[in-house]
Amino acid sequence: MSRQHWLSLSPVLLVMLLMTLGTLLFAVGQSLGYAPQYGINHFPTLRYYELLVAQPSVAMSLGLTLYYAVVATFLALVMGFLLAMALLRVGRHHQWLHYVYKFPLMVPYLVGIALVIVLFGQGGLMARLSYALGWIDRPDDFAALLYSHYGWGIILVYLWKQVPFMALSIYVVLLGIPEQTQDAARLLGASRWQRWRYVVVPQVMPGILSAVLICFAFNVGAFEAPFILGGGFPDTLPVLAWRLFTDPDYGQRLSGMAVLVTMGAMLLVTVWVASLLSRRANRWQRISA
Amino acid sequence: MKGVSHNGKALLVGVGLYIVILGPIIPVIIQSFAFQWHWPDLLPRVWWWSVRADSTFPLAWDYVLSPYSHVFEAAGNTLFISLSVTLLALILCLPAARVLVSPHFKWKTQILSLFTLPLIVPEMALALAFLAVFIPLGLAGTYTGIIVAHLIPVLPYMMRVLVSVYQGLNPAVVEQAQLLGASRWQRLVHITIPLLLPGILAGCLFTLLVSSNIFLITFLVGQGRVETLPTLLFSKIGGGALDATAAGLTLIAMIPGFILLLATERHIRDYQRVGAVGRSIDGSHR
Repeated sequence: MSRQHWLSLSPVLLVMLLMTLGTLLFAVGQSLGYAPQYGINHFPTLRYYELLVAQPSVAMSLGLTLYYAVVATFLALVMGFLLAMALLRVGRHHQWLHYVYKFPLMVPYLVGIALVIVLFGQGGLMARLSYALGWIDRPDDFAALLYSHYGWGIILVYLWKQVPFMALSIYVVLLGIPEQTQDAARLLGASRWQRWRYVVVPQVMPGILSAVLICFAFNVGAFEAPFILGGGFPDTLPVLAWRLFTDPDYGQRLSGMAVLVTMGAMLLVTVWVASLLSRRANRWQRISA
Repeated sequence: MKGVSHNGKALLVGVGLYIVILGPIIPVIIQSFAFQWHWPDLLPRVWWWSVRADSTFPLAWDYVLSPYSHVFEAAGNTLFISLSVTLLALILCLPAARVLVSPHFKWKTQILSLFTLPLIVPEMALALAFLAVFIPLGLAGTYTGIIVAHLIPVLPYMMRVLVSVYQGLNPAVVEQAQLLGASRWQRLVHITIPLLLPGILAGCLFTLLVSSNIFLITFLVGQGRVETLPTLLFSKIGGGALDATAAGLTLIAMIPGFILLLATERHIRDYQRVGAVGRSIDGSHR
């Protein structure tokens, strides 16, 4: 029986292992100086990491990357939660509401970027509307939402795509709570706050946490939005990695790999710690209950 | 009274959603039909049809729908790649998912967490590593290379959906058919497949969706030799401006999404939960 199991599993496992763990190993190896295809082999060396640490702009890139990711993920969580609550209140009577909001989930990020350019560029529709209302006189009076390091253009794209994602995830999780558990808690004399804190939150937490982590990881690793709508040097880490990779000097590619390996390691550690914490919280909850 | 306030709230949420999510599409449509739309006009001064007769250079839709824009080629490539990826992912995942839900199998959690890796590792890291490995193998810039590379971001979704599909399959139903004398083949054709089909379809729609929206992996592994709708759109708006042809292209790039939205709403409904929550990080809450 067991051999048959592994026979059915092996094709997909082979693809996954080769192409995720394999590529990760490859990336780590290259960042440590193993790149015979470019005629470079200093393995093992930390010089490509040291080069990154020596450049102050790389730290700024890291800061920018985290700033866009954290702000966008947090705002998407709050807005997605509100939208999910609204959808829950509205219920199943208005089917069309449950259609419309999923549209952004279905289209490429580049569509969201195009929409943001049309609306929020300095010659965009919002700027023209402000002019028509007499608020501004010239295009450059309009706040520079795009192509600046404040990154509101980038964050708007993320929000347009991810508020629906968060709302869908949270809505489904909230739907999945059996009504009986709340009723039981009420019968046992739990207050509204206690029911929320000890009945609802523990049940929705794992689902919400995974949605948050997926959004955060995506936002850290995203390329298109910061590349097109960002403020230029210093770039976010994925854009920096791409610039290093497309540099005519092949040695730079290894620094690019070092950037990506650092990012990947940060994300994996974040997700690992988060899931450990959530598991511990669950256990603690069970013990204290 | 309660009904009225309920409807009012629904209307408010609905109108808000329409404005925020679909509203921005209107200026893109206008832009695609504009000939002259300068600051500070709220609407184009000259629409394209008024100068259509004597325009010497291609206007938005003329260009977008002409062979020069490669739109049809890109749309065909997008469709071909996403269908191939979906078929391949289905073939790989179907037998595996069946094993994962079997009660005798102990490695389910570990294997499912391996399948969350592609959701966490930056797409750029995967894409650049694929590229570096594919160049010596001769796979860079080929359909095969792109299809194989697309498998990685797509497999997590397919796997999750299929695992929950198999979990929802009641083994008692199949046993009953066996007791009633149905052959192995009859059980498969008349019981198992019909029961699994809606879920399989849902999984396929998810992977079609994910694959047809991928930009970065196609862009890097394709080496500019294979255009899809996202890479074509990137080459148009990558500079940060949206002219009339870019607006037309943006609208074209929305079409697969619209179609898939209608299709998923019809078929998925119950499988929404799989798409949204199925991507749990460690699978421990199942």
